[in-house]
Amino acid sequence: MEADTAVEDVCCLNCDALDTNDIHDASAMSKKETNQSASNNHSRHRADRWLNLLSWFCPPALYEGIEGDLLEQYEEDLNTIGKKKAKQRLIKNIFKFFRPGIIFRNKFSFQHNNTIMIGNYFKVAMRNIQKRKLYSFINAFGLSIGIAFCTLIYLYIQDERSFDQFHVNKDRIYRMETKSYNYWEANPKKPYYYNATVQTGLQPAMKEEIPEVEFASRYSPGRNVTMRKADEVFTEKITYVDADFFNMFSFQVIAGSPDKLFTHKSDMVITPDIAKKYFDNEDPIGKTLVFHDGEEKSFTVTGIIEAPPSNSSISFSILIPQENRGNYENNVTQWGTRDVSTFIQLRAGADLQKFGANLEKMTEKYLGEMLRKQRATSAIPIPEGIKLTEFQYTALTDIHMRKEIGWEKVSDPQYSLILGAIAILILFIACINYVSLALTTSASRKTEVGIRKTVGAQKQQLVYQFGIESVLLALVSMIIGLVLVVLFLPSFNQFTGKTIQVAYTGLLPLLSVSTGITLLAGILAGSYPALFLSSFLPATVLKGKFTSKFQTGFTRPLVVLQFALSAFLMISSVIMYRQMDFITNKDLGFNKEQVLVIPTQTGWNKKADELVERFRTKAQQEPIVEMVSGTSVSIARGFSSRGYKINDENKSSFFYLVDPNYIPALDLKLTLGRNFDATISSDSSGIIVNEALVRDMNWTDPLNEYLNWQEDSLSRGSKVIGVLKDFHFESLAQEIKPMFLSINTKSFGHLSNILVRVSEGNAATSVEKMRSIWNELSPDKPFQYTFLDEDVAHQYESQQRWMRITGFSTGFAIFISCLGLFGLAGINAVNRTKEIGIRKVMGAEMKSIFILMNKQYIGLSLIAFALAVPASWFVMTKWWLSDFKFAIEVGWELFAISMISGLFIALATVSYHSIKAAWINPADTLKYE
Amino acid sequence: MNKEYLGEFEELVLTIVGVLQEDAYGNAIVAEIKDRVKRDANLSAVHVTLYRLEDKGYVKSHMGGATNARGGRRKRIFTVTNAGLAMLRAMKESRMELWKLIPQLKMSAV
Repeated sequence: MEADTAVEDVCCLNCDALDTNDIHDASAMSKKETNQSASNNHSRHRADRWLNLLSWFCPPALYEGIEGDLLEQYEEDLNTIGKKKAKQRLIKNIFKFFRPGIIFRNKFSFQHNNTIMIGNYFKVAMRNIQKRKLYSFINAFGLSIGIAFCTLIYLYIQDERSFDQFHVNKDRIYRMETKSYNYWEANPKKPYYYNATVQTGLQPAMKEEIPEVEFASRYSPGRNVTMRKADEVFTEKITYVDADFFNMFSFQVIAGSPDKLFTHKSDMVITPDIAKKYFDNEDPIGKTLVFHDGEEKSFTVTGIIEAPPSNSSISFSILIPQENRGNYENNVTQWGTRDVSTFIQLRAGADLQKFGANLEKMTEKYLGEMLRKQRATSAIPIPEGIKLTEFQYTALTDIHMRKEIGWEKVSDPQYSLILGAIAILILFIACINYVSLALTTSASRKTEVGIRKTVGAQKQQLVYQFGIESVLLALVSMIIGLVLVVLFLPSFNQFTGKTIQVAYTGLLPLLSVSTGITLLAGILAGSYPALFLSSFLPATVLKGKFTSKFQTGFTRPLVVLQFALSAFLMISSVIMYRQMDFITNKDLGFNKEQVLVIPTQTGWNKKADELVERFRTKAQQEPIVEMVSGTSVSIARGFSSRGYKINDENKSSFFYLVDPNYIPALDLKLTLGRNFDATISSDSSGIIVNEALVRDMNWTDPLNEYLNWQEDSLSRGSKVIGVLKDFHFESLAQEIKPMFLSINTKSFGHLSNILVRVSEGNAATSVEKMRSIWNELSPDKPFQYTFLDEDVAHQYESQQRWMRITGFSTGFAIFISCLGLFGLAGINAVNRTKEIGIRKVMGAEMKSIFILMNKQYIGLSLIAFALAVPASWFVMTKWWLSDFKFAIEVGWELFAISMISGLFIALATVSYHSIKAAWINPADTLKYE
Repeated sequence: MNKEYLGEFEELVLTIVGVLQEDAYGNAIVAEIKDRVKRDANLSAVHVTLYRLEDKGYVKSHMGGATNARGGRRKRIFTVTNAGLAMLRAMKESRMELWKLIPQLKMSAV
């Protein structure tokens, strides 16, 4: 029969069901069987792949019939509608079979039997944990640290992301910013300046002329004034805003009516803390508060507003209208100075394109003339398309993360990323440690597995059992972890400069996140040991053979990795520490020790200079006072610089207004010329420059030069009286820039700070003495002071912070690495029990066994260091140390110290197992052979 | 009418199984429905209906008839049981009763 031969000739690649029965049924074959069978088989082979998908959800009993039907239809379709459409139809039909009528016909293999056993599993799990307390504890603890860390980082990231999210109108509020082209010094790396200050007149102009703007408020934060309560004087921060502030932001108004808060220029809104401080428990509404900022001003309290939370970019304690700012009427019309920040709220549905266009129109209207003049007179040619000044805006919720624009509490989004990556890494390492430690302890469970299997446990049940055990341990770890989180939250807050609290609202997501992490870790980490343990063959196990070796294959590279990471962190810590040490002890060119810095707090006028004089007269009577001087800006508490054109070149330099005592007070060295002399009248127009300025101006004979820094067309400028040896008036991250000193208090500024050098060893008494002098001279202002060396150290705060983070992570990483190493050593010891037994019988001493066991770890450590050294060298020199223009040399002794200490730690960890192994009585281990 | 009654599609499939007598399996039923009632039925729908009918006891199935076109897989062939026949008979009678009562449908012969 032709049909028969057709069947025999065709070799189907997938025909495992083709047997004699099928040949008998050949007569029942469809009449549509054609000679195309061969090619059909090939395409069928491809279709089979899709049929595999079917087998996933189709009940086995029905599978054959369904599959056959689908294939038959496919064959027909190949002949009628072509291969491509046939395949499409096949796939569509397969997916159509994914329906409840089919899926629920599967018998799900969750046997009832398992639920009965769960009680037993728990009991056994608890017993095991208690039997091996040390291991269980170490295991749980390691995992709990990982969980705690992850939770803390989660809280940190949540806090960062929650900044300013509590405002109802947050989608429509923007902060105005200025983007200006740096045409003073062409800096190809940073051609534009971005900052968040704009002109005072911008806010009223925007409200009037741009229809998209619904509300706008200026914001000038943090002006220090003094306020008096009874006999005490306090310093408070005043923030100047506009009335729209209360409409835009969601700070709750506790007392007073929200739309009548700023009706008069003398209205004031305060926070509850201020109310309590100055009015005790009385109602402050309608009462008067007076403050002093050079002159006395009094205000009426019209409302109480809640204090901003810690995750707000806007902070305040006292709010008064903008009109009170000094020189307000003048500033409103002045478009050349930028001195205030401005927030705007757009109308609902406002078109940002139109807004941008309107903004440009406004820029042209108010700034166009000025910008064109600047472009024409600029010393550096400005390319055509570049805008000299442009307004930009940032959404309120994005402010916190934009670190390139200076603002209080701005944060680097990099931190979140790095910390997140560290957290995941630590959790991962903790899980791997868990696996290796679990494997170590599993030797004792062998007999149990053997017996369970003998009395009928299926492999799957054993997997469940061990899975439950690890999940149980993981849950215990979670509890410990959460306790750790609560314990360490205060120090974490201090560390990161945040005030994270676990409030009730945040409790549920926190718990669910940590439970999620825990379960994930428990299941992931527990799966490998579970699978491994449940695969034991009862026969081999019950015979007592110790020969099944655990796969150390994959724990080994991991231990090396952990160690490399620890070594990396250790070396980094050492380098960081040395650098910070260097900075604090490096000779900055001036004597920063024992100097008190006292702000004069008189405002920018000649009262400051007079105060310095009076202070000097009184203070010099004290024996502990060595020198008193005054300066406009104290080192590391700000700076002032000026730009000027010399011979058509743009130059700039730093500028300090001082008195003749400045140079001796700070022990500065003069290389040429002399100090200011108050008796020589021409000295008041003279300046003392530093060597950097001499280099900048290419002077060969500085004492005969003049510096025309005021661009005075009439005179030659200020005569150079002396040249100072370069000293670091900025942080060591900067090179020493040109700088000059002047004593001309009549024209160029005022002495806002008093510097007092005191003799050694009298810090507390000197402060008290200064305080009493101050109270005599300036009784209505609170005494404020800092020490110069603290101010200098303050400049390196972010570097200090990184040093702390690294130090902390180092301790942490070493701890976890030791756990890992401990586990690995344990596995190793267990694996080689028989070998060690035999060695002992053959006569090996304890010492030689000890060395034998430890040998390999030295090798691993060396590999780890080989990895860590180049990595840490690279990272440190290219990243952290490059922040400092003046850095230490990274010499080989740093690496050597770290390596030796690392090796020592590693050996200490593995010794426990080596010693234990060496102590074993061979009789016990070899009994079963 | 029985206490349990069939859905429209179930009824159709059951009838076709009866029509096809010997060779009632998935594809054949689909083809037959297309042929006789001019209706496109989906293979999976037919399969699921057949299983449901089997659960209810109106059809029974046995394996048989592998062909090359099916890649050597056997067919699941359904046949009507006595209960199924009884159901079909009951359905036919009750429908006829009702249709007789519609004046426009009055047939020449009862």
